[in-house]
Amino acid sequence: MTETPVTSAMRAERLRAGLKRRYAREGRFRLYGLLAIGVAVGFLLLLLGRIIEQGHTAFYAHTVTVPVYMDPARVDRAYPQGTNFELLVAEQQLARMGVADDAEGSKATAMRSLFSADLKFAAAEIVQNNPNLIGQTVPVAASVSDEADLYFKGEISIDTPAEQRRLTDEQIGWLDRMKDSGLVAAHFNSALFTNGDSTEPELAGVLGAVVGSALMLLVTAFIAIPLGVGAALYLEEFAPRNRLTDLIEVNINNLAAVPSIIYGLLGLALFINWMHLPRASPLVGGLVLALMALPTIIIATRSSLKAVPPSIREAALAMGASKTQTVFQHTLPLAMPGVMTGAIISMAHALGETAPLLLIGMVSFIPGIPGALDAPTGALPSLVYIWENASERAFHERTAAAILVLLAFMIVMNAAAIFLRRRFERRW
Amino acid sequence: MKFTLFRAADGTEGGGSPVGAPVISAPPVVHSSAPMGPTKIAARDVSVFYGDKQALYDVSLDIPDKTVTALIGPSGCGKSTFLRTMNRMNDTIPGAKVTGRIEMDGADINAKSVDPVLLRARVGMVFQKPNPFPKTIYENVAYGPRIHGLAASKSELDSVVEASLKRAGLWDEVADRLHSPGTGLSGGQQQRLVIARAIAVEPEVILMDEPCSALDPIATARIEELIDELRERYCIVIVTHSMAQAARVSQRTAFFHMGRLVETGDTEDIFTNPRERRTLDYITGRFG
Repeated sequence: MTETPVTSAMRAERLRAGLKRRYAREGRFRLYGLLAIGVAVGFLLLLLGRIIEQGHTAFYAHTVTVPVYMDPARVDRAYPQGTNFELLVAEQQLARMGVADDAEGSKATAMRSLFSADLKFAAAEIVQNNPNLIGQTVPVAASVSDEADLYFKGEISIDTPAEQRRLTDEQIGWLDRMKDSGLVAAHFNSALFTNGDSTEPELAGVLGAVVGSALMLLVTAFIAIPLGVGAALYLEEFAPRNRLTDLIEVNINNLAAVPSIIYGLLGLALFINWMHLPRASPLVGGLVLALMALPTIIIATRSSLKAVPPSIREAALAMGASKTQTVFQHTLPLAMPGVMTGAIISMAHALGETAPLLLIGMVSFIPGIPGALDAPTGALPSLVYIWENASERAFHERTAAAILVLLAFMIVMNAAAIFLRRRFERRW
Repeated sequence: MKFTLFRAADGTEGGGSPVGAPVISAPPVVHSSAPMGPTKIAARDVSVFYGDKQALYDVSLDIPDKTVTALIGPSGCGKSTFLRTMNRMNDTIPGAKVTGRIEMDGADINAKSVDPVLLRARVGMVFQKPNPFPKTIYENVAYGPRIHGLAASKSELDSVVEASLKRAGLWDEVADRLHSPGTGLSGGQQQRLVIARAIAVEPEVILMDEPCSALDPIATARIEELIDELRERYCIVIVTHSMAQAARVSQRTAFFHMGRLVETGDTEDIFTNPRERRTLDYITGRFG
């Protein structure tokens, strides 16, 4: 043996070298972690920034307040809704600005298109409430049309090439004059939150879709949570372990990974074509989303049931509690935070699901606000899809706004999940 | 490790049994002193299988009433398995099978007509790790009477809770915080809480599975005192790893080894005059 004996100084040297390597390794790993988080946060900020940048202008809109002479010759006292207020206002406005119309009245038509359709309803309502105003001049406030709104927001200007805008140079001149005379004001776009969908962008709102989504989630929650938790309880606590239950388990795991569009097709075939439930209704939407949410809820519930310490089950069984008492008085309450979190996360997931909703008829334009589970309704994600595909330029900013509303909805749901988790959490 | 070593040594020396019979098939040695009380539980040829693996081989043992019986033996010797046959907790393990006969007051507890839920109301159990429910102290103790419908009114339940906590020697420490969580108590207090929970249903037998192994010496002493007091009312069976504890708290001892009952008798007898070589080796700390 010619090997030199390892002295304690050599051992110390080796230890030091090894230690240095270990710390370097740890340092590198931390750096990778920071980089990964940095990239993730960067993308998130980019996404949010882009949506907010595109969507923030949708949260305000412009109104115009014009003095209207309620001409007794044209306003019908008995039926003010029948009056063509838009034309009346346009003609009066042209006259006030000293613009002479041609024989076809094409300038009045051009002027009239600067006002939104709600001008007519606003004026009619004033007369209806107080018929004595006929013959007098009354200020009437209404939204400007979507194109005029975009002009006031600076998204179209006189320099925009004519083929990319629908406003003529003359109309832009009129808008400038109305603005200079103080008739135009910017205000919070409450229509976005109080109206249903509309073909007129300035009147379109997300309320119909929000209510539709909420109704759908209600159906989903009422079906998917009890079914999912019940199935998980049975599989985890009562079912024997055999081939059949193994097969069921594998299938549930696979179902969680099935693309959502397949569920949409299933829903279309099962609920609409076979059971003849109404198309595009929150009922059908909720049923389809419940099918989708079931596997996730079952998996989440089972894993939180598994996480309950066996000592608690033993304690209850040894006290003479029956299997059912053990499960419902001990295991399930202790698993509740996990069950709640799983359920709400799968609900949030269902909220954002688009493809199955399009297949069951929510791709079509559905105005108004749904009042029943079987009434046709829109949903937030399908509204985003519809608005994104709309030709009017003003829908683009509203698409981003609808996405923001959808995100806010999800944040509220996730906050609820965290709250419930804290609420149900118990130490053992 | 020690366990395997012992087997090898035993095999080569062939000195396991004084009569020279093969170790594995030797019948248990029964010391012939008079039992302490009438027999509460009588086990006859009890074997337990977990799937294909046999954990307990033909154990026959009489457990007297109003006595502490200690089950001792090295890890994996089957003493906990045997303990769990007496309240049918093995029923809850998938694949577990119990054969033989266990009688309590002369009636077979494995009979079809015996509901394990009712059996467990008569046979309480305390586990190795204190396992109070994550509920208040009061709710923990009241749980048994509640599920078995033993208390007719709130005041009756209150007095059951108080009496049980008093008997478990915990009342003075928790009387002013009955409605704070049971999991907030110290380990030793939790174990006494669990004992109070077990005796709240007035069981006849209390099974204890290494009740002190997670506790410090002071808490252990407290529990041992308690066991000694409880002996007057209940039939107690305790599994323990500690020879000293078995010697301190029990009147009867049964030594298990490799799934078999090797020797049983009065504790004093077993510890001072073991008749089996393996018992001697174990209690003198040569293995275990």
